[in-house]
Amino acid sequence: MNYPVWEIYTFGGGFFIAFIAIVHVYVAHFAIGGGLFLVLTEMKGHRENSEQILEYTRRHTKFFLLLTLVFGSITGVGIWFTIALISPAATSSLIHTFVFGWATEWVCFAVEIVALFIYFYTFGKMDKKAHVKIGWLYFIFAWLSLFFINGIIGFMLTPGKWIETGNFWHGFFNPTFWPSLIFRTTLALIFAGIFGFVTSTFLKDDSFRKTMVQYCAKWLLFPFLFMVISAFWYLKSMPMGSEIMIVERSHEIKSIVLIFITVSSILFISALFMAIRAPETAKKPIAFALLFIGLLYMGSFEWIREAVRRPYLIYNVLYSNSIFKSDLKRINEQGILKTAKWVNIKEINDNNALDAGKDIFKLACLSCHSVKGPMNDIMPLTKKFSVFGMEATLDGMGKLNPYMPVFAGTRAEKSALSRYIVEGLHKNHESPHIALKKSLEFQMPGFDDKTDQYVLLSWNSKGMHFFSDSDKSFSLIPPGNTLYACLIKRGEIPERVFDDIEISYFIDKGFGQPSKQVSFWEFSQSLIGKKLDKDKGISGNPLQGTMKLDESGEIFSADHLPVVPYSEEGSFNPYPLITIEAKDKTTGQILARTKTVAPASTEMGCKNCHGGNWKVLGVTGIAQTAASDILSTHDKNSKTNLRRLAKKGLPVSCKSCHIDSTKETAKDSGRLNLSAAVHGWHANYLPDRGADACYNCHPDSPNGTTRSFRGYHAGIFDCTACHGAIEDHALSLLKAELGKNKKGALRLMKHLKPQMAKTVDEINPRIPWVNEPDCLNCHIDFQLPDNDDFSAFNQWTSVEKDLFRHRHDDMYALRCTSCHGSPHAVYPAASIFGNARDNIQPMQYQKSNKTLGSNNCKPCHTVPMEDEAHHVNSLK
Amino acid sequence: MNIENLIPSPDSIPVPWGWFWLFLMITFFLHLLLLNVTIGTGIISLVKSIRGKENDLKTAKDLGVKLPYAIAFTITTGVAPLLFIQVLYGHFIYTSSVLMASYWLSIIALLLMAYYSAYIYDFKFDALGSSRSIFIAVSVIIFLIVAFFFSNNMTLMLMPEAWKAYFSNSRGTILNLYEPTLYPRYLHFLFASIANGGLFLALLNDFRSRKGNNDSRGNILLGLKWFTFAFIIQILIGFWFFLMLPKEIRILFMGQNFYATTVFILGILSAFTTLILSLKKQVRLCTIMVLFTMTNMVLIRDVVRTAYLKPYFSVSSLKVYPQYSPMILFIIVLTAGIGIVVYMLKLASRAGKEV
Repeated sequence: MNYPVWEIYTFGGGFFIAFIAIVHVYVAHFAIGGGLFLVLTEMKGHRENSEQILEYTRRHTKFFLLLTLVFGSITGVGIWFTIALISPAATSSLIHTFVFGWATEWVCFAVEIVALFIYFYTFGKMDKKAHVKIGWLYFIFAWLSLFFINGIIGFMLTPGKWIETGNFWHGFFNPTFWPSLIFRTTLALIFAGIFGFVTSTFLKDDSFRKTMVQYCAKWLLFPFLFMVISAFWYLKSMPMGSEIMIVERSHEIKSIVLIFITVSSILFISALFMAIRAPETAKKPIAFALLFIGLLYMGSFEWIREAVRRPYLIYNVLYSNSIFKSDLKRINEQGILKTAKWVNIKEINDNNALDAGKDIFKLACLSCHSVKGPMNDIMPLTKKFSVFGMEATLDGMGKLNPYMPVFAGTRAEKSALSRYIVEGLHKNHESPHIALKKSLEFQMPGFDDKTDQYVLLSWNSKGMHFFSDSDKSFSLIPPGNTLYACLIKRGEIPERVFDDIEISYFIDKGFGQPSKQVSFWEFSQSLIGKKLDKDKGISGNPLQGTMKLDESGEIFSADHLPVVPYSEEGSFNPYPLITIEAKDKTTGQILARTKTVAPASTEMGCKNCHGGNWKVLGVTGIAQTAASDILSTHDKNSKTNLRRLAKKGLPVSCKSCHIDSTKETAKDSGRLNLSAAVHGWHANYLPDRGADACYNCHPDSPNGTTRSFRGYHAGIFDCTACHGAIEDHALSLLKAELGKNKKGALRLMKHLKPQMAKTVDEINPRIPWVNEPDCLNCHIDFQLPDNDDFSAFNQWTSVEKDLFRHRHDDMYALRCTSCHGSPHAVYPAASIFGNARDNIQPMQYQKSNKTLGSNNCKPCHTVPMEDEAHHVNSLK
Repeated sequence: MNIENLIPSPDSIPVPWGWFWLFLMITFFLHLLLLNVTIGTGIISLVKSIRGKENDLKTAKDLGVKLPYAIAFTITTGVAPLLFIQVLYGHFIYTSSVLMASYWLSIIALLLMAYYSAYIYDFKFDALGSSRSIFIAVSVIIFLIVAFFFSNNMTLMLMPEAWKAYFSNSRGTILNLYEPTLYPRYLHFLFASIANGGLFLALLNDFRSRKGNNDSRGNILLGLKWFTFAFIIQILIGFWFFLMLPKEIRILFMGQNFYATTVFILGILSAFTTLILSLKKQVRLCTIMVLFTMTNMVLIRDVVRTAYLKPYFSVSSLKVYPQYSPMILFIIVLTAGIGIVVYMLKLASRAGKEV
């Protein structure tokens, strides 16, 4: 935040550092191992009294000098130049903390250079012993350079006690100091062997060449075992080491570790091959191939080290984008633009959001990400995102995936950065969401207050059944709408009728063959484990049939009707009507007829983050792009292979792993239930958004097409009033899972901050579809709330039968929903598909859209009531 | 825009700033000396190589073979002052480096080219024939470019007012070309290099002549000629440089500040003494006076830097969280290192090879 940012988009920070660091470190390690190689080979020459060996050593020294002294030393300076340009704050911190470490290393470097010059220019001209002494001095000082740099580099990975004490020595002799020193020393020796191959394969004398190639192979082979042991020790010494091995912190690490292991094996086998039976003609190409493989080896090791350290430059101290962890709180409060010194825009407004976003990109992203460059290109990584999705990704950074630093800055800055990436870089401008607005006509069923003897009530269980139409890829929830009905014989004391009647139902024309609209039936075997008859729901019910008395014997129901919101004529109607008829079984006479909506929607905004567009008519449905991305993301994060399965025509249902809590068996325990998993995961990406978080996934957005939250309450409050914000909602679900000892819950809970409670402890755990907000939390004793604080959150129904959809009145005569309508659509409801559609029975029976019976208990009671028998306050 | 708001906050230091100042002055002095010799002998060798007569080539080769050492030690001694300047003035030099990042980073590639080119010139001097001039020319031209970038950075870091240019150009291609002191400063160093290159030639041959090599006399005179000529121009440029300095800085050297005035007067007096000694062909005395003059110039340069930054920063304001043990380690290793270098040089000189 302190320094200006060098705007190099194509070669964003990572490229220069990776390039110069890897080539330098390769040569620098060779400069150490190669030093020992020189002096030991010279000693071998003296010992064996071999002019050939001595001459070889002299020539190798020249090669060594030109490579290490020139290329090695200048690229070493180059690393300093580069990191000071890309991460000046980090460089400054390292310089100021370890200035005398660097200074001491510099002394070693200077002595090393003097020694090398003398060694080369006096080769063959100096007394043997003295010359060997110079050779040893070179090696000792070269190794001491490593000793000192190793302390500082190790500090960046494992600062150890330094974080508390600030003591130079605690940072220097950090937890990875010794294993890293030994590991790097063995690497240096291996590289000496590789570079030895390069010069020895050029020797003209056949037998001498063979001897020297074998000699060089030993340099590769002997240190190998020590290298492997020290590599494990190194990994073990990192606090995050066990984490890497167990959960594989990131996919990148996994693949680089694989490269590292493969290259290790190649090196070892090649060295053996060179030593034993490589044909003479192959030796030179192998030597050069090994030279390149050595570079890969160094590169993959350095990459692993960098990747393990992420998202930090100095572990737990300084993030990759040069933001100090200790500054995070201040930056989050004041904003990155206000805390950064080198930006023009300090306040974001509508006119400068893209420019501000660019400034934020420079500060927060550019040190690692390029724009259309060869390394860490931001473009493919963000291609799929809408502005909302981008912002959600920024919100989730550093939480479930610890690879990226957390975003430092305010909400407005996050939005500006998202806009810059999506609209500025990708030129993706979202067309404003056009909701379908049409009031659909229908024939209101008739009722004659004077002559009709029956009142038929019917409603659906949840007020909205939203399901995924991505069956080819996966099924979040299959289509399935449950209807209830109840026939009442009117009178002074009305009676419910159960006997000798048949209650039948049929859906609107055009909705009867859902299998033509969605592919659920095609994949039902894979999705739910059984082949379903076309157009029948998961419990076997078709869209035209007879209702049955449910288990309680109190109510007629038809469960899991496969209603889809797509009609045969190609329209989207999330509120198709179902006609219900009650018939006298004996006479066949129709006693009563009504209609009710069977709400079903596919308006799930997965595309907002997972890419692509709406699947149907530009307003609804999960398109293939988003569906595939969801699978890939799940595969990446949870080590599954769902995408491959889907490609093979074997899509899965989410609930096949994330089983409902109520259906869980001991065998299943361990995985989170679907609600906890989905909300818990996404809450990490959608914090601080209130109801907006709900709207982006559920079909209840006030700007959407379904607008499923359409009951009377929709005009007063939003989803969060009863369910809490997504953080609260997720925490309540996760806490219940944690109570069952499901450890995964803890990971998802770690970064969630409750919005409607002060602490996580205050949030009461709950099981989905059992413990839901209770209406009586606000409507104490069935009264209207006496203040504006409409919060039903955190007081849950204790058992399933207490849910609004199952609850009875005081007389056990009617369910709450019979008179009040379905959840989320209580009377009087308002729908953009026509207000009457959701208020059919109040309109039919009492010519008003208010709660049934609000007109002096008509229509069921033929005389006005004076007692509040159903529940107190029912006569108001 | 308030310039002060742009200046990054400095980090704390482990020992009082005076230590770093001392290390900076000493190591910069060494670097400057070697830098002068590298560029100066490079230029002389180039001129001699182009002239191409037998004697010229002898001198060109004599200097050319030493160029790789000179480059190596220039770079080595350059690392230390770069380290110490970052400790004291990091927040200024990191900033100015970022502003001219494209040029600054190119120095690495340029130096590699110059260095290898110098090695080719050294190892293949005879084999290359007249095309050898190309290699030494590449090295010399690159050195001059790199030096120009350094002059830019060293002035840009002192002038936060010029940093505003970043807001219209953040691609790292800002040079401090509008700064009037840039040119005399650069030329002052350039002619100092030529002068010291000449002096190095004279001193080298003076050493040989004292060892009984009679052929060296000519090159002593040649070296001194280069020295005297360049030194006179350098003095003139020095005055130009001085006049270009802002008045409030100039008057520091003209009595307002005792220390500044002292080093300034000593610097001028020693420069003229040097000139007289060079005219009298007193190579060794002249060399001693050059070292004394350079010491004063390094101190003057430091006063100028302090004065430029005075409105924004003073090294004494750096927070100190004392921790002496790492410095003690450094001093011990430095002493041991010097001892070992001396020991190795002794071994080398016994081997009868000049190093």
